[in-house]
Amino acid sequence: MISRVALLLAMVVCLFGTQTRAEDLVTALSSDEVSIQSNFTGTEIVIFGQISRDLNTIARPGVYDLAITVEGPSQDITTRRKGRFLGVWVNREYETFQGVPSFYALASTRSVGELGDRDLLDEYAIGLHHLNLAVSGHSGVPLSERDDFRNAFLRLRQQQGLYSERPQSIEFLTETMFRTKVPLPANIPVGQYKVKSYLLQDGGLLSAKESELTVAKSGFEQVTYNLANNYSLIYGLLAVTLAIFTGWLAGVIFRKD
Amino acid sequence: MQVYLPIAEIPVNMFVIFGMGGAVGFLSGLFGIGGGFLLTPLLIFSGIPPAVSVATVTTQVVASSASAVVTYWRRKAIDLKLATMLLIGGVVGSLLGVILFDVLQSVGQLDLVISLAYVTFLGAIGSLMLIESVRAIRRRKSGARVTARRPGQHNWIHGLPFKMRFRQSKLYVSVLPILALGGIIGFLGTVLGIGGGFMMVPALIYLLRVPTNIVIGTSLLQIMFTMAAATIFHSIGTQTVDIVLALTLMIGGVIGAQFGARMGQNLRGDQLRLLLALLVLLVGMRFAIDLLLTPEDFYSIAIMKGAGA
Repeated sequence: MISRVALLLAMVVCLFGTQTRAEDLVTALSSDEVSIQSNFTGTEIVIFGQISRDLNTIARPGVYDLAITVEGPSQDITTRRKGRFLGVWVNREYETFQGVPSFYALASTRSVGELGDRDLLDEYAIGLHHLNLAVSGHSGVPLSERDDFRNAFLRLRQQQGLYSERPQSIEFLTETMFRTKVPLPANIPVGQYKVKSYLLQDGGLLSAKESELTVAKSGFEQVTYNLANNYSLIYGLLAVTLAIFTGWLAGVIFRKD
Repeated sequence: MQVYLPIAEIPVNMFVIFGMGGAVGFLSGLFGIGGGFLLTPLLIFSGIPPAVSVATVTTQVVASSASAVVTYWRRKAIDLKLATMLLIGGVVGSLLGVILFDVLQSVGQLDLVISLAYVTFLGAIGSLMLIESVRAIRRRKSGARVTARRPGQHNWIHGLPFKMRFRQSKLYVSVLPILALGGIIGFLGTVLGIGGGFMMVPALIYLLRVPTNIVIGTSLLQIMFTMAAATIFHSIGTQTVDIVLALTLMIGGVIGAQFGARMGQNLRGDQLRLLLALLVLLVGMRFAIDLLLTPEDFYSIAIMKGAGA
């Protein structure tokens, strides 16, 4: 961790030379890759950062606000609503949200509403209610009920631990250095993640940074997953062989006569 | 011990899964059934995605039937020709089942169809078994002789064309009902994640009049091959067979089955059938309640495309 901080400081020093904006943001992740192995039960990543100020810039009054989002690869997700049909409860209306993040976590210094106005939050997708939940073309849901589907979608994703919003979770180590932890639950999807950091003040965006995070299966998990997806016939035959062998072995071991 | 499942993409407690496999294995050994119809709902209720549960149980059924087949093979209580005919129907049915499974999954009605089918089949077969076993127990109590199979007895099935001789079963019947029976059970087995032994055995006894001592071994052999085909079709089609989950269930299952089989020898056949009937009805009822009661949450989400779909 000490070496990370040292690296961070080195980066800060390097950036001073070429800086054009008044304030800048430097961030680093505790790890660029999260590997999922058979003992994976979730983990967390630590995001460090430093707010650097141009030497000529006069210190502004007021405090800095920070918002950090971690977004997983996008998915199309269908939200369905049950209704009564011939006495039984079945899925009736549905709404498909296209290109929504498979994982979304927000860490911020203040509650979302206090960070900035709606346009800004919508533009940068800061906060669960500012995510762009685009619906697919054909939808049988009346306009007045679309918000119900949006809210249900966000609620269910939060229940699964895949969407979260945690205000006041960024810790300032010094006046300009900060740190936050983002928990990654066991059910996170694999893929390329984006970690976006925004420096805000008085509702205005001062600086933004983006870095990448890879979540990938490794070792046995990866081999199995690959086999199942790319060599599915071999995988199926393997599963059958394993089953017959296990059954046969048990039949022989527990032989009664 | 938490283990991350590579295909289901969630961590599970290995001992819980092992225990489930063992408990269902015990019941399957006790009643001489595959136990798929108990295991699939158990897995679904414990949070494994339904698609993974159904596909993985087909693999588990291969193992549990294989261990029993070994025993029946040694006793020569298997009619290979009959099993082959059932199997031909079974593979075709299983293939259709995977296609339907895929379609239902994409339109979001898979859970409904699985629930409805469970209610219908478990309800119907459970009731029939209950009536039959209660009658048998009464007959035994009143001291009446149980009528044995009469060789000359025929029903409409024996009037169908394309007759074939099955020496071991001492049968001369049309292949059509055999292919149809294999097909229906292969189809249901693939869609519902069950072996279908509890449907196959009564059908072979009552419809085709296969001798009881041949029925179980033949049905098990047929189930083993149909479920092996279903495993392969699921691997290719839906890619939801989780080999780690399957292996844990199998090991628990085959061990449990040995204890079940030993205990089963101390119970009378009609008592066993009565217990099994009640068990089947109970599972069916559990699904019926879910369909009829107002759900706690009206909304559900499913990934259609992208990461994890």
